[in-house]
Amino acid sequence: MTDQTAPEISNTHAKAGYWTRVARDGQKMGFWFVLPTLLLLVFIVVFPLLMQLYLSFTWWTPLEGIPWYQAWEVFNWGENYWYMVTDPRFWGALWRTVLIMIVAVPAQFFLGMALAYLFIDQFPGRKLFYSIMLTPMMIVPAVVGLMFFLLFQGTGPINDHLGLPPEFSWLTDVNRAMISVIIADIWQWTPLMFLILLAGMLGVPSDQLLAARLLGGSNWQNFVKIILPRMKTVIIIALVLRAVECFKIFDLVFIMTNGGPGVQTETISVFLYNQTFGELEWAYVATMGLSILIALSMLAMKGLSLMAKK
Amino acid sequence: MSSIQIQNVTKRFGDFTAVDDISIDIEEGEFVALLGPSGCGKTTTMNMIAGLEDVTEGAIRFDGQDLSRIRIQDRNIGFVFQNYAIFTHLSVYKNLSYGLEVKKVDRSEIDRRVRAMADRMSIAHRLDQPASSLSVNEMQKLAIGRSAIVEPRIFLLDEPLSNLDAGFRAYMRAELKVLQHEFGQTMIYVTHDQIEAMSLADKIAIIDQGKLMQYGAPLDIYNDPQNRFVANFVGSPRMNLVDGELREERGELHLMLHGGAEIPLAGKVRADFTSDARVHSGSFGIRPQDIYFGDQRCPTDITMHGKVEVLERVGPKRLAYLQVQETMFLAFDDQAQLEVGDDVPFFLPSDASMAFDLDSGRRLGGR
Repeated sequence: MTDQTAPEISNTHAKAGYWTRVARDGQKMGFWFVLPTLLLLVFIVVFPLLMQLYLSFTWWTPLEGIPWYQAWEVFNWGENYWYMVTDPRFWGALWRTVLIMIVAVPAQFFLGMALAYLFIDQFPGRKLFYSIMLTPMMIVPAVVGLMFFLLFQGTGPINDHLGLPPEFSWLTDVNRAMISVIIADIWQWTPLMFLILLAGMLGVPSDQLLAARLLGGSNWQNFVKIILPRMKTVIIIALVLRAVECFKIFDLVFIMTNGGPGVQTETISVFLYNQTFGELEWAYVATMGLSILIALSMLAMKGLSLMAKK
Repeated sequence: MSSIQIQNVTKRFGDFTAVDDISIDIEEGEFVALLGPSGCGKTTTMNMIAGLEDVTEGAIRFDGQDLSRIRIQDRNIGFVFQNYAIFTHLSVYKNLSYGLEVKKVDRSEIDRRVRAMADRMSIAHRLDQPASSLSVNEMQKLAIGRSAIVEPRIFLLDEPLSNLDAGFRAYMRAELKVLQHEFGQTMIYVTHDQIEAMSLADKIAIIDQGKLMQYGAPLDIYNDPQNRFVANFVGSPRMNLVDGELREERGELHLMLHGGAEIPLAGKVRADFTSDARVHSGSFGIRPQDIYFGDQRCPTDITMHGKVEVLERVGPKRLAYLQVQETMFLAFDDQAQLEVGDDVPFFLPSDASMAFDLDSGRRLGGR
């Protein structure tokens, strides 16, 4: 019955215009209800995106002396994009961001996975430990940055515990500054990995796990052959989520090292910040921002398309 | 293959006693059914045998050996889950080979055994397909095959037939019996279906509210139930069990039924009721097929009068619902002579009747 009538309705719909359809279907009220959100989306997503695209093709800066919408006067036919691909500071920042990502995200993944595995069985104090485990990700990233800024001082607790002299600096050392930032990021975001992976792990049917154990599989064998394959979707989501988030790392770096020493820990976000408020190169920032958005979207799509594959 | 001794096993979850002091001896190669209503503790008992649950008190021994300190994966116990617990992300082949792969059996050996088992369970044509594509019936076979392929010391089946459609259930019941002979395995089978238990098992353990009610061969349990619960639970249609107070008048003993009718006790069943002077309320039991109509065949058989309320066809026979005051008796009308509304005499053979103490449920007298 419904199978026969449904196409009929949609046919008449196709003939009438969209707005007529909305009005006639009595969805008018609903439309007015969602309109504020639609407008909001236009202002916070569509408009900035178009503005960014527009500016990225000009030399415009706030110092130009003309309003942004007149930026066509300094149109430069995409020279910003060429400048970007030949800018060593951009590539340096990009490489450092990727470095943090490829070290921190796998570390968070393995730690999160190991912790999640510990939490699938009941044990005394599980709830308490669970709450404690999740605390780091609840803290404002800037505060985490400040915490680690203090911890990594030459005279701070970390050197003290490791028995290192105050001259052994972390945040001002060319190599160790990066290590410090990565450690802070791992500390803060392992809980999120843990949370997502635990949810995925608890979703593995317990009777199948029991069956695997009764068949003689060791914990490791059952983990690799039963738990992991069943968690594939969750794992991909967790990794994509963290990779994208990690790429945008700003607060930790800004507070702990401000990109220093020199540009040794300058990530893409910090670089963009410096370009925006230090150099006032807004058109160039728009160029980079747009490029990164496209690159990240492609990365995320690639990751998520793995999920669809069987 | 091994024998199992369940010795005074008790399981408590907090204040709740799920299994209360159960002892069962299972011989090597025996097929034992744990039978009882839902929530009676039979699955808990099975889980304790498998090691999925710890034993609160008592011990479970396999060939005299206590396995409670041995890890589940090293116990070598075959377990078929009620919902089969098939690894749905793997192929049928991988499901079958799992137990061998994790034991690092040689590849060619795995292949040989998987194919043999698939043939045996007639799912060979499905080997390369994902296990999630199987029908429920095939999943059942796969679940049994997957457990059997590792040649476990014992085989536990948790209501394995309850998800199947009626036709396949009957087939699988016969198949299980054949498989058990082939494997020569000690098998323990949990079910709430007494017909399944009666037709499959060498021995049945009937459990109610965590307690072992009776343990024995199906026919012994059927013919000689040791308490009211077992009498009521085993047999289809159910045994007539009518409760009342014992009253002696002018040397005659009557059971005054709560429904208003009375049964004049005579012969063996009278002796059974009087075997314990402390008993004042009793329960009278008689199986529907033992009740007869027509002429009295034995002077001690009890005569009753009832009105035929309903006649129900059960296979080739008819089941008559006989109303005596407020009490209903079920009897087979084997000669097809009754009509609805008839007021007929019927006879309760004293030798086939059973006496129970209403308060404790205990059987009075005996066979």
